[in-house]
Amino acid sequence: MALKQISSNKCFEGFQKVFEHDSAELKCKMKFGIYLPPKAETGKCPVLYWLSGLTCTEQNFITKAGFQQAAAEHGLIVVAPDTSPRGCNIEGEDESWDFGTGAGFYVDATEDPWKTNYRMYSYVKDELPKLINANFPTDPERMSIFGHSMGGHGALILALKNPGKYKSVSAFAPICNPIQCQWGKKALGGYLGPDASKWEAYDATQLVKSYSGSRLDILIDQGKDDQFLSAGQLLPDNFIAACTERKVPVVFRLQQGYDHSYFFIASFINDHIKHHAKYLNA
Amino acid sequence: MSSRSGSTRDYESSGQSRDHSASPPVPESSDTETEGLIFYHMDLYGSKDRFDIFPEELSGRGDRSLGDTRRESALSSKKVQRPQEVGYDLEKEVAELAKMYGLDEDREKDLEFLGGHLEKLGSRQPPAHTEKAGSQGSIYNTSSSSSVKDPSQSTKQQGLPDEASQGENQSKATADDEAESNVWSRGGLSSGGMSDEWNSQALSEEEEEEEEEAADVFCSTCKIPIRAFDKLFGEHKDHEVAQFPSAVKSEKEEIHKNMCKLEEQIAQMENVASHLEEIFITVEENFGRQEQNFEVHYNDAVQVLAQKYEEQLEALGEEKRQKLEALYEQLVSCGKHLDTCKELTDETQELFLENDKAEFMKAAVTMVDRLEEFLKKEVDLELSTLPDFEERVIDVSEVEQLMNSINAIPAPCAPVINPQAPNAATGTSLRVCWGLFSDDTVECYQLCYKPVSNERHSDEQAEHTLKVKETYCTITDLLPNTQYEFWVSALNASGISPPSERAVYVTAPSPPTIKNKKIRSCENAALVCWESRDINPVDSYTVELSKLTDEENDDIITESIVGIPNCEVLIHLQPTQKYHVCVRAQNLGGSSERSEPVLIHTTGTCFYLNEDTAHPLLAILDDGFTISCDELENPECDLPVYDNSFTRCIAILGSLIPFPGKHYWEVEVEEDTEYRTGVAFENTPRHGHLGANNSSWCMRHIITPSRHKYEFLHSGMTPDIRITIPPRRIGILLDYENCRLSFFNADLAQHLYTFNSHFQHYVHPCFALETPGILRIHTGITTPPWTALP
Repeated sequence: MALKQISSNKCFEGFQKVFEHDSAELKCKMKFGIYLPPKAETGKCPVLYWLSGLTCTEQNFITKAGFQQAAAEHGLIVVAPDTSPRGCNIEGEDESWDFGTGAGFYVDATEDPWKTNYRMYSYVKDELPKLINANFPTDPERMSIFGHSMGGHGALILALKNPGKYKSVSAFAPICNPIQCQWGKKALGGYLGPDASKWEAYDATQLVKSYSGSRLDILIDQGKDDQFLSAGQLLPDNFIAACTERKVPVVFRLQQGYDHSYFFIASFINDHIKHHAKYLNA
Repeated sequence: MSSRSGSTRDYESSGQSRDHSASPPVPESSDTETEGLIFYHMDLYGSKDRFDIFPEELSGRGDRSLGDTRRESALSSKKVQRPQEVGYDLEKEVAELAKMYGLDEDREKDLEFLGGHLEKLGSRQPPAHTEKAGSQGSIYNTSSSSSVKDPSQSTKQQGLPDEASQGENQSKATADDEAESNVWSRGGLSSGGMSDEWNSQALSEEEEEEEEEAADVFCSTCKIPIRAFDKLFGEHKDHEVAQFPSAVKSEKEEIHKNMCKLEEQIAQMENVASHLEEIFITVEENFGRQEQNFEVHYNDAVQVLAQKYEEQLEALGEEKRQKLEALYEQLVSCGKHLDTCKELTDETQELFLENDKAEFMKAAVTMVDRLEEFLKKEVDLELSTLPDFEERVIDVSEVEQLMNSINAIPAPCAPVINPQAPNAATGTSLRVCWGLFSDDTVECYQLCYKPVSNERHSDEQAEHTLKVKETYCTITDLLPNTQYEFWVSALNASGISPPSERAVYVTAPSPPTIKNKKIRSCENAALVCWESRDINPVDSYTVELSKLTDEENDDIITESIVGIPNCEVLIHLQPTQKYHVCVRAQNLGGSSERSEPVLIHTTGTCFYLNEDTAHPLLAILDDGFTISCDELENPECDLPVYDNSFTRCIAILGSLIPFPGKHYWEVEVEEDTEYRTGVAFENTPRHGHLGANNSSWCMRHIITPSRHKYEFLHSGMTPDIRITIPPRRIGILLDYENCRLSFFNADLAQHLYTFNSHFQHYVHPCFALETPGILRIHTGITTPPWTALP
């Protein structure tokens, strides 16, 4: 559980740091970004986990999203892990950008050769929070999760599969129904095997249909000019329909003119931080 | 503390030893004092001598512990030297002496202060200087004999080695330099300005010391100082004695008391003198006035008498003339009669002389006839007029009255009626006051009044008159907020004064009526309006607030707002409280009774629906907060349309308090009701749709074949937002300070949308129905915490 600080930069009176540690779950060195707000110097703070999208590392979010000011203001620790194990020397892990390295898809792989290392679901769900809670002034009872694209998918399934674990959830352009889209089919098929019924355990739209846990307030922002939206990779309508059916409260905002980029994220990150702060600081 | 007391004790022990050595009959045995003694008289002993023994810098320089240890060592060494003998009498004597020294504390402080510096001087300087310091010190120590110096010096010698041994560690040089300069300057001062005082002090103490040999207590019975010994064994054995200090004290008190009495008497006499002067002036004035009074009255009386005299004289003359005239007339007629008689007699005698019978007879017949005729006439021989004059009654009653009135009082002058005093009126009563210009004696006053009216012929209006003993009167049963004219005359036995000037008083207004249904409020303020019940305008209104607590004292006015010119006021309040608010109307005369109070809860924002703005098809139910629309078209199309009402959108505006801050309210809707709700400027176009212009912001719900559609409209634009659960209870938060208008699903605490807009003017809630249905509006709700963040 030893942490190695890679970088530390003062930011809005707090610190944006990057740490590296040996992950037991993923059996490799993993980095994560963590923003410690000024409030963390004097008291315990809630933790908001951010899950990045395909191809991203811990760096993308912490350098591009511009979340630190809002996090500092609301006193939230924001943790941004990497998106997959790295350097595991698995054959084919670097072959494509939407599978393997940088595309862990936040599942626990069951197929060889991925099942040893590609356990991002468990990593985010258990190992990372333990690590964070052990090393930083956190309030373990108060955590939330959000993400972008594949990370949005990760945030939704983690929240839906673990009712009560997260106080709130939100997503930017999430992959809402991976079993129905190309990315999802490739990744889930690769990590979980060809049996599509097993995939449903990692599909937000499927999960919400059977969700009966505590109330979740879900905020989703989606750029209207997102090429992956029109390409049918994200399928938010299916998720909204399921939520409407299951009476799961969602506010889905289709943002005119925005695409899939971090520019889009940066435009609405404050709304999402506030959304989480409302529940985390309640 | 402990270190301090320790050091004090230390000083005392050395100080005592010196005191004793100063008094000859108590030689070396002064050192026989035990420590017990030292402790007992810790407080009694002044610390004035302490500085003779120890340099000030030790205690003054802040190095306490060091100083202490040093003193401890000094003390211990001294203890060893002392023979351990105890003498009771000595001990007592010492105590007495100490008490005496402790008498004048202020002075002692001075001494202490100076002594300290002197001692610094002494300790710092070489022996030659020490001499000097010692001799200076001896002035206040009263005994100038060298025996004083000896113990102090010896003690110092004990102290100095210690200082030498331990003081090495200190960085003394600078400190001492400072001390030195200080000492010199102070030293100069002490030898100059204060020496007189010292001398006197020294003298008195010397005296006391002389007495000390002979007498140390005061026999209250014999009123002489005696020795304590005598009290125990001598003639004063059974007498009541007092310790010298207390005796002196009691004597002083006695003298002081007498002094006070004297001062009192002086003050009294001065008082009396000034009073006498006043009386003197008054007497002069009064007598002068009385002289004048007499002069006027006596002149009057003399005039009246003179007039009477003239009148009487004239009447008397007239009577006399009449009488004389009458007498004269009678006299004349008497003469005539006499003449006639004589004539007849003469003729008759002539007849008798007639010899001719015939002639005689002829003449005689005529004569007899004439005589008969003449004698038939009666001769009035009675006096027509009496010589004495008529008895006249001299009427002096008027004079008498005049004379009487000289001793009695003059009729009073016209009183002066006061203008109306503020707050001396109620709605139905007035208190009128007046006074006298002069010191006239008045038995009572006659007060008249009538209402002031602009109408010409209102003079016939009832004029009321009252007799009043006092110079004030409270008139009741008047009309509120009405002007009355008053005038007053003074009466006494001599008559009635002319009336005073007329003064116009006005009664207080009637209490206003608060418009209960038009109260708008929020957490921090309330807008209350009312109407006057008077026809005449009032000057201003006063609003009284009382904060209601759980305790009983409901009616304690916590705040009053005065001088409100209109029938409306915005009151700043504290959140989550209950207030009783009532209004009084105010005019020159005073304030009305309180209006019926209204209760205001500052739990949340309360507004009311402005019926004037309601579309004709929109109905407000009895509760005032439920709006409904039964049909979209009215076939008759002749519904009344007000100037201010919506004509197109079936909408209504609420009247929100114009107050910055946050306002929250909720709208309860059916799932299939199509509506618009939000906020709008007061002047938002009545012919347009809410949200279609830039003067309104609203959430719209419509049902499309596929889904519930929610729009958040401003200037006709909406973001594309999908909401999975149709809200049944919409929370609306208007936050002027943060420039936002947020919509929530209040049941879920779910944020739906936020308009970020800097509202240029105050806005009002707006509600519209697009299909038949009802909307229930809930106000007075505490802003939920989850609205703080979207």
